Amino acid sequence: MVKKNLSLIGLLMATVFIIAVPASAQKVQGVTDTEILIGQWGPQTGPAAPWGAVARGTDLLVKIINEEGGIHGRKFKYFLRDDSYQPAKTKAIAKEFVEQIGVFAVVGGVGVATGMTARDYLMENKIPWCGPVTGVYEWITPIQKYLFAIYPLYDDEAFNLTGYLDEKLGYKKIAMFYQNDDYGKQGVMGVERYLLKKKINLVAKVSAEVTDRDLSTHALKLKNSGAEAVIMWTMPTHAALILAETAKIGFKPQWATSSTLSDSALMMQITKGLWVGMINSFFGELPDSNHPLMVKYREWHKKLAPQERWGVFYYAGIIFSEPFFEGVRRAGKNLTPETWISAMETLKNWQGIGPPISYSKPNHPMDRQGGKHVFYGKVKPDGNIQRLTDWIQITK
Amino acid sequence: MFGQLIVSGLAVGACYALLAIAMVIIYKTSEVLNFAQGEMAMVSTFVAFTMLDAYHVPFPWAAALTFLFAIFLGIFFEIVFLRQAKDPTVIGLIIITLGFEMVLMGFAGWKWGPDQRSFPFPISNIETYNIGGLLISKINFWTILITLVLMFILFLFFRYTKLGIAMRATQQNQLAARVMGIRTKWILSFTWAISSIVGAVAGMLIAALGVLDPPMMMDPLLKGFASGVLGGMTSLPGTAVGGAMLGIIENLFGGYVSLAFKSVVAFIIIILMLCIRPSGLLARHYVKKV
Repeated sequence: MVKKNLSLIGLLMATVFIIAVPASAQKVQGVTDTEILIGQWGPQTGPAAPWGAVARGTDLLVKIINEEGGIHGRKFKYFLRDDSYQPAKTKAIAKEFVEQIGVFAVVGGVGVATGMTARDYLMENKIPWCGPVTGVYEWITPIQKYLFAIYPLYDDEAFNLTGYLDEKLGYKKIAMFYQNDDYGKQGVMGVERYLLKKKINLVAKVSAEVTDRDLSTHALKLKNSGAEAVIMWTMPTHAALILAETAKIGFKPQWATSSTLSDSALMMQITKGLWVGMINSFFGELPDSNHPLMVKYREWHKKLAPQERWGVFYYAGIIFSEPFFEGVRRAGKNLTPETWISAMETLKNWQGIGPPISYSKPNHPMDRQGGKHVFYGKVKPDGNIQRLTDWIQITK
Repeated sequence: MFGQLIVSGLAVGACYALLAIAMVIIYKTSEVLNFAQGEMAMVSTFVAFTMLDAYHVPFPWAAALTFLFAIFLGIFFEIVFLRQAKDPTVIGLIIITLGFEMVLMGFAGWKWGPDQRSFPFPISNIETYNIGGLLISKINFWTILITLVLMFILFLFFRYTKLGIAMRATQQNQLAARVMGIRTKWILSFTWAISSIVGAVAGMLIAALGVLDPPMMMDPLLKGFASGVLGGMTSLPGTAVGGAMLGIIENLFGGYVSLAFKSVVAFIIIILMLCIRPSGLLARHYVKKV
């Protein structure tokens, strides 16, 4: 009987040992001596699909880095998943990344509502997440150890854009046209904050639902407000629709919009030229920039992804992942979430083709907000951009 | 503002009505609600776009070839998918249309990509006519006119042609229609072809009014369905009236009550109509004898 019990205990210990050994041998999830696994979701289908180009842009940067030999002898394996801009799908994708694929980190990811379904899950599982492709407070409040935001904050972007219209261009009657969700509302927040500070009234605040395709009433409301300038915080489809509807009723204010609509080539095409004169903020170099990195990326783009259009939405995928790779570079051969985080915290005004990026140890929400700058440009009749300012710090 | 809201409402209502007419044509014959109608129209519009943009085919030819494609698509779906259903029930057939809708959406995303495009249309969507102080864009004006003309032609067709009467007979009793010598299978295919053409017209107009992309018909289709429910799913004039009313009600609600809840109005109308008058405003209540 004792012999039988001893054999049973021995078997149990052996089982525990077998289970335990691989766990301690596999040091870091998603990292081997030769490979690092990373993932990103993005809308490849559905109404927000033009923004899905971001995730494909990151794929280009991954390919470039791999072609150049990887980082510290490791190449990257990139998993792109289509969430159709549907939060339920994003959550499932995040679970797939963590539980099935076992990624080291998540990079980018378009959408506020979509990203919010995954944020807490990723943080609980201590998965580094670099550069969600939206500029909202949700990424930095509460402060998350593993989450590094890059996109300049919409609130500050809208605040400063309103200031530009008011102080530089002298528009006092300003209206707002926005998408009725977190993205649009944070734009409204910045506009209202500025106008309140200056004791100016917002003459109209008109919202559209994501699925709306008839904006004739919206256009009438904007026209009736008597606005001289209208700031829009919407997706590309709504931007095209509202410009057409306002043009029909002869309403031609000065339009201004966020960096989310800074793909001028696309916007010129879908608005049939009505995009001319738009004042845009930008979070990255212009498509035809002579910046050495832009020249290099354009050359690789021709070689590795000639089927993709070289536009802002596409190379935004590079902008929002460059700091991640810089962190991997600085972390050295011993890559773990902790060493990567320490490396990211050494970035001070580091710049790729996007805004200057700085992080610190997380004592204040802004310590995890990397991008704090934008610049302004105006769309010329040929669709190119006339740069109006240099990089402006919008977040203090 | 009131007059302008009415005019804009009529214009957008015309688009809803066109899609509703396309759905009603099929519903009248087979009692099937075709939820793939929007995506069939979207794919046809992309075909037109490819001819216009890539091959520079003149618009009238591109439109004619698109209608041919739409006929093919409608008949293809009816023969390859619906006709193959084993012991088909109406619900089963509706589910098949939902499946086909997803297939078409996926196909369009794969073939033409997710980017929005501007649909080259011969009528400007910005230039306007000034009618008694009210501005109506040229494309909105022509959309209303095309809808009225199409509706009138279809009304005459269903009322006075042998084929139209055969289609109505097929809807009322397929077995009896077959006994009377009507080739009901052929009639069903023909119905899908006509519906697909009307959908293609709606698709091209809606793309010209806004942008062309795979999800462009999601909202208009739901509104088209609401128009059908409002006017009566078996009545062509009812559908047109329903579309116009829905467009106007939505615009007035958005203009004077709440823009945020404007798009919900259509669904409230569906619920109210189904509770109060399920047959719709202009359709006679149809009772099936057992």
